[in-house]
Amino acid sequence: MAITKANKLEQNKHEGAMSLLSRSLLTGFIGGILWSAFGVLFYYFNFTETAPRSFFLRSWLTDEWTSTWLGDVVSVLMAGVTSVLAAFIYYSLLKKINVLWIGVLYGVILWGIVFYVLNPVFTNIPPVTDMDRHSIISTICLYSLYGAFVGYSISYDYHDTVLKQVQEKQQSSSR
Amino acid sequence: MRERRGKRLISRKIKENEGYLKQKLGVGVSFDLGYREQTILGQTIQLYYVTGLCETPIIVELLEELVNINDTEVDQNKIAEIIKNRLVHQQVTTIQTMDEVVDQVLTGLIVLFIDGVREAFVIDVRSYPGRTPEEPDTERVIRGSRDGYTENIVENTALTRRRIRDERLRNEMLKVGERSKTDVCVSYLQDVADEGLINLIKSKINEIEIDGISMAEKSVEEFIVKRGFIPYPLVRFTERPDVAANHLLEGHVLIIVDTSPSAIIVPTTFFHHLQHAEEFHQAPLIGTSIRWLRFSAILMSLYLLPLWLLFVMEPTLLPKALSFIGPSEEGNIPIPVQIILGLAGIEFLRMAAIHTPTPLSTAMGLIAAVLIGQIAIDVGLFGSEVILYVSLSAIGGYVTPSYELSVANKFVNVVLVVVTALFGLIGFLVGVLLHILLLANLSALRTPYLWPFIPFNLKALLHIIFRIPIPYSNRRPSIVHPENNYRQPVK
Repeated sequence: MAITKANKLEQNKHEGAMSLLSRSLLTGFIGGILWSAFGVLFYYFNFTETAPRSFFLRSWLTDEWTSTWLGDVVSVLMAGVTSVLAAFIYYSLLKKINVLWIGVLYGVILWGIVFYVLNPVFTNIPPVTDMDRHSIISTICLYSLYGAFVGYSISYDYHDTVLKQVQEKQQSSSR
Repeated sequence: MRERRGKRLISRKIKENEGYLKQKLGVGVSFDLGYREQTILGQTIQLYYVTGLCETPIIVELLEELVNINDTEVDQNKIAEIIKNRLVHQQVTTIQTMDEVVDQVLTGLIVLFIDGVREAFVIDVRSYPGRTPEEPDTERVIRGSRDGYTENIVENTALTRRRIRDERLRNEMLKVGERSKTDVCVSYLQDVADEGLINLIKSKINEIEIDGISMAEKSVEEFIVKRGFIPYPLVRFTERPDVAANHLLEGHVLIIVDTSPSAIIVPTTFFHHLQHAEEFHQAPLIGTSIRWLRFSAILMSLYLLPLWLLFVMEPTLLPKALSFIGPSEEGNIPIPVQIILGLAGIEFLRMAAIHTPTPLSTAMGLIAAVLIGQIAIDVGLFGSEVILYVSLSAIGGYVTPSYELSVANKFVNVVLVVVTALFGLIGFLVGVLLHILLLANLSALRTPYLWPFIPFNLKALLHIIFRIPIPYSNRRPSIVHPENNYRQPVK
């Protein structure tokens, strides 16, 4: 019994070592890297005419290196960092809704913001009306997968943690 | 005859009992219901049993001992005590009602009535026909134990118990089926497995009200997880006791159904179906590379054909370096039809192989390789590239450790080929998107199906991407909500 108690204490410490928020931000970072890497792949196979580097680098830089693999790597990393912000916004607004489709919706909204609202910022991106159908569908697919990944992960993690805390409270009160 | 709480009690008169059993059990009608009458100390005793479910040498020994009573004992008043004392067996119980008598006889125990006594003795001499444990065909390994579950639930729980001698391992026996009365065993580690999950599973099993479950574990699975039209396996089946024991230690719950060698492991996610015992018997680095190869093969079985079809239909998508992809000659039939025909052909072969006797299967292999493969290209039915990609995708399916998963993947593969053929790039993208999202939205027994990918869990995902050495696998996976998180102390 003493051993299990000690284990439990240790376990609590480990859980506390990485809070829900930091886990969510990490999810955002990895999600950004993962799905922007898919963006690079999509661009390579001409599914879409916009690569991550068109957003993060090509819009303001025209140096030689930005159109090589180095530009891809740097822009994927930058997407990861930017995605932390997106994860934070989801965390603060929507974490209580534990539904996959909300995440998908969040991704689609992000797509709308990036391609409609922020369009003037990225000089290298054509307006949505000028983009071809393939590019639009491919990018929407990517963004909704990204939204599902980040959103559902954060919501599920939140619900799981809250559930565990409620259980632990019940256990400690019953003792 | 007397009754208590609606249950018929055993009568003092042996003839009454006999009449009841004749009418209820059909003794004398069913040939497999045997009975034997003897006289001990002037009293009639009767034995009932099912031939084929009991072990004859033990019964003979018991009878010998009973007959000897006539030579050594005289006290007729103590006949019940004397007989009970002389039943030389470790499992003898006393029962009072006729319902129990019927149940026990049909389970394979022998029931002994004594004239003038209100009780019956039950002796457990069961011996079910069955095979000895052997390596399961679908889960072979190069290293590691070669035993596998059999059709006998008692042997199966024993095989698990041999691996986990923990006093907290619980094997709870439930009965399912109004007529079949099949034993279903729920196994778990009491201080590890999630209590809510155990109760949920037990209540779901207890709710089953069917006459019989001859298709054993599959029927129980369908009652536990309501799947609708989802082709994906929502529980994992295993015939390997070591795999089962490992999952028990991780906090999973095991359901064993009598008459089936496949145990059900719950809860499971998509990624549980991608693992194989072989990885854990090799060095971690080798295990990891085996795993990566397997993942790529499984991805191939899902996405290779639709992707190739896409590039054939829209060659402009291909970057310059890959522009050689695509058929050199189109053939006479449209490529999507060729692919579907090829896939159907491979399915024909697979289905035929299941019930083709071994001597004929060599001939079948020849027909498959030479006639269908080569000649189909020569006569211009198929392009050679179609054969290549269809075969690659089929091999990817065979690499999948879980048979159920490979079948489901094949199904999705065909759907993706069809939507790609109809709608091109958009069909492919939306198909893949919907596939992933529907899988992510799926949950079996409160467990998200694509965990730890969506929802994301870094630690658990690392355990799936890499085969982490056992000394470093300290924690139980959080998805089973273990009540005790640690498999070993962290140093």
